[in-house]
Amino acid sequence: MQREAIYQRLKAKYGFDEFRPGQYEVISDLLAGEDVLAVLPTGTGKSLIYQLVGSLLPGLVVVISPLISLMQDQVARLNYQGEKQVAALTSQLDFGTRKSVLRQLPQLKFLFISPEMLKQPRVLAALQQTTISLLVIDEAHCISTWGPDFRPDYLSLGTLKQAIGNPLTLMLTATATAKVRQDIVTQLQVPAAKQVVYSVNRPNIYLAVEQVASEADKRERLQQLVLAVKRPSIVYFSSKRQTDLIAEWLRSTTHLRVAAYHAGLTAENRFKIQQQFMAGELDVICATSAFGMGIDKADIRQVIHYHLPTNLADYVQEIGRAGRDGQPALAVLLYAPGDEQLVRNLNNLTAASPAEIQLDQQRFQQSQVAETDLSLVLQYYWTHGYSVEQVTTQFESRQRAKEAELAQLLTYVQAKTCRRAVLMAYFNEPAPDHTPRCCQLSGEPLPLAQLGLTASKAQSQAATIPWQQILAQLFLQNS
Amino acid sequence: MKEGAGLLAEYLLLLFTTAPRRPKALFNVLRGKRTVSTLFAGLTTDSLSLLGSCHGIPLVSFERATEQLVSDGWLKTTQPGYLQLTIAGAAAQQRLKDTLYLPTAWENYQAADVRQFTAASQLALQVVSEAVHQQRRYYPITTDRHIQWQVKQWFRQWQSPTLGQQIQQELTAFLQTQTTELATVFSGSLTGFNFPGQTEQQLATQLDRQPLEIVVMRKDLSCHWVAWLKQQPTTPLAALLRPLLKVTPVSSSAWQTYQDYRASQNLTLVAQRRKLKLSTVREHLLEVAILWPEFPAAELLTPIRIQQLTGLFSENPRIETWRFDTVQAAFPEIDFFWFRLYQIMRCHDAA
Ligand SMILES: [Zn+2]
Repeated sequence: MQREAIYQRLKAKYGFDEFRPGQYEVISDLLAGEDVLAVLPTGTGKSLIYQLVGSLLPGLVVVISPLISLMQDQVARLNYQGEKQVAALTSQLDFGTRKSVLRQLPQLKFLFISPEMLKQPRVLAALQQTTISLLVIDEAHCISTWGPDFRPDYLSLGTLKQAIGNPLTLMLTATATAKVRQDIVTQLQVPAAKQVVYSVNRPNIYLAVEQVASEADKRERLQQLVLAVKRPSIVYFSSKRQTDLIAEWLRSTTHLRVAAYHAGLTAENRFKIQQQFMAGELDVICATSAFGMGIDKADIRQVIHYHLPTNLADYVQEIGRAGRDGQPALAVLLYAPGDEQLVRNLNNLTAASPAEIQLDQQRFQQSQVAETDLSLVLQYYWTHGYSVEQVTTQFESRQRAKEAELAQLLTYVQAKTCRRAVLMAYFNEPAPDHTPRCCQLSGEPLPLAQLGLTASKAQSQAATIPWQQILAQLFLQNS
Repeated sequence: MKEGAGLLAEYLLLLFTTAPRRPKALFNVLRGKRTVSTLFAGLTTDSLSLLGSCHGIPLVSFERATEQLVSDGWLKTTQPGYLQLTIAGAAAQQRLKDTLYLPTAWENYQAADVRQFTAASQLALQVVSEAVHQQRRYYPITTDRHIQWQVKQWFRQWQSPTLGQQIQQELTAFLQTQTTELATVFSGSLTGFNFPGQTEQQLATQLDRQPLEIVVMRKDLSCHWVAWLKQQPTTPLAALLRPLLKVTPVSSSAWQTYQDYRASQNLTLVAQRRKLKLSTVREHLLEVAILWPEFPAAELLTPIRIQQLTGLFSENPRIETWRFDTVQAAFPEIDFFWFRLYQIMRCHDAA
C-alpha cells in the first residue's frame, strides 16, 4: 500500500495530518504482510493502528485482551469513533448474548475477546468460518513467563493462532524488556516478526520519590501534593478498600472534586467517572491500576503512587498516563519504610508450595472443579500435561523473577543519583543527561514553580442543580 | 455499621421476622430464581414483590451480611438453615424502617422487565439529549449490542424536531408525582449532552444518604416510572417500554401449560401435547398458582381433597409449617402436588 493512501485514510477517518511516533511504521509493515511486535509507550494511540489497518483490509479484526473492563472501554471508544460493528465476547455475557454475537460474526468488523473465551470450541469453530484480517494480542507481555503479569491462558495463544488459520498478527505492549520480547515471539511462534521498539522515556514527566516516616505522614503528604500541584491528578493504590477510604478522606478534608475508581464499581459508575474526568469535572481520581488503560486524556498533570507498583514496567506504564500533551507533568512515588511488604504479600497470593501444587494435582485427577485463584492457574498446567516437578520449578522461577523485579523497583526508590538513569537501565536503554527538569535527586525539594506545575485556584464544588434545570439542559435546545 | 456491606445487612434485616425464615430462600427470591420452592417461599414470607429485584447480588455479600446480623445479635438461629429476629433485632428493624429509604413500587418487577427497561431508557435518553444538541460523537452509556439495537429502532421511529421537548415534558410530568429527593436522584443519574451523570456515591454525598439507598431509590424510581408509563400509553417512552411489559408475572412456558390445561382440563394430555414430563406440567401449574391468584386451585383440587386436607390442618393456622408427612400418614393417595397446591390456595385465601 502506498504511503499516500495510508495518510489519506488517516485524514479521512480521524482528521489527523500526522501519525504519532511508531504508528506509521507498524501500519505499513502490517499492510506489507509482516507480523509485528510493537513496543510503543502509553498514549501512542495503539488502537488507531489496528483500527486503520482493519479499515483497509477485508475481514474481521480479532483483539485479544486480558481485562474485561478494558474491553468494554475499547468497544465504547470504537462506537464513539463511529465504528458500529464492534462486539466484546467475555465470560460476563450470558449464554444467549454470546450466541448472538457469534451469529453476527460475519457482519462484525472488530471483535474483542478474552483468551479463555477464544478457547471455547464453539467460538473457535465460528472464527474458523470467518475471514480474519488481523489478530491483535493486546498487552502481549502477559504471555511472557518472564514477565510479572504472566497469564497462563495467554500460553495457548500460539496454538489458537494456528487453529484460526495463522492470520496476520500484531502484538502490542507498552513496556517489554528484550527478554520479554524474545519470549513473546517464541510463545506465539512468530520468530520472524518485525519488532518496532520505541523508547519508554518520557522526558516531560519529572520523576520524584517522597520518603515518609509513617502511614499518617503519607496521607498528609498526599493531601499537600494534590492541593499544591496543577490538576487533574491520578492517585494509584494497590487495594480497592484503600482507594475508597482515601478518596472519601480527601473529599471531606479538601474542597477538591475527588472520585474513586476500581473494578468493584458497576459498569455504569465506571462510565460516569471516566466521562466526568474527561470533561474536566474531577480534580483527583483515586484508582487501582485498571484506571486509565482506556482513557485518552492528554492533560493529566500528576500521577501519584500511594503504594508501590508491582515493578518498574508497570510503573512506567502508569506514570505514562500523565502529560500526554507533551507539557510538563509530575510522577511522585510515596514510600514509607516497609511498603515493599505489601508487594511481597501480593506476590505471595500467586505463589504455591510444592505441597499445595501436589494437592491441586490430586484435585485435578479426581476431576474436582477449580475454585480458588491458585487452582484456576494450575488447571492450565494440568490440562497441558505438566508434571508436579515442572510446575514447581516454574513457580519457583517466577517467584525469583518477582523478587528480582521488586529489588529493581527498590533500587529506583532509593536511588541517590539520577532516577531516570535507573529506569532506562531497566529497559536496556541509554540514559539521557540529567537536568533540573529530569528528576528529583535525593534531598532536593520539588521544583513546582520551575516546572510550571503550581496549582491554580481550585474550582469550587458545583452547587446542586434543581432537577427541572437538568431536564431542560439535557433535552431543550437553547438552554 | 456505616459501610456498604453494613447497609446491605440493614436492608436484609427488613426481610426477617420473629418467625424463622430460610435466608437461602430469601436470597433466591431476590435473585429471581423461578423454582417452585423459591416461589413458594416468596409466597409464605410475603416477599414475592421482591422477586428478581436484586438480580446481580452475589451470594458471598448476602451471606456476609446475614452473618454480620447474627454476630451483631439481631438475628439468631433456632434450627439449621433458618434465621429469625431477636428482640434487639426487632427493635433495630423498627428504627431502620423509620430512617432507611424503603421501596414503595417494587411489585412492578412482576409487571415488566424493569432491569432491561432501565438500561434501554438510560441509553434512549442519552441518544435524545445528544441529538437535541446535534452531537454525533459520544460514548454510549452501554455497549450492549442488543440494547443499542433496541434503542436505535425506537429512535428511528420517534425522531422528530420536537422529541426533546416531548421527553422533557413527559419526564417533568412523571417527576412531579415524586418527592424532590427522588426527582433529584432520577435527573442526577441521567446521562446526556455535556452531562455524564452522577454516580450513586456522588448523589449519596449530596443528599446525605448511603450509596446503597440511592441504588434502592433508583430501582424504585424505575418501578414507579413503569407504572406511570402504563397509564400514558401513547408517549414515546411508553413505546420503549411496551415490548418489555409482561402479560403475566408467570414465565411464558408455564403460562402456555396453563392455557393448555384450561383447554383440555387433563394433565396427562397437556404433558403429551407439550412434550413435557408430567412432573414439569405440575411444576408449571404450581408456578401459575403461586403468581396468579385467579388460578382455579379449588377446581383442580376437587371438593373431596379439599375436605380431607382442611380436616387435617384445621388446628394449625401457620401454613408454612405444615408437613407432607402428615398427609402421607393419613391419606397415602394424596401426593405432594396436591398438598402444595392446597397450601398455595390457603395462602392466597389468607392474604
Ligand atoms: Zn535525572
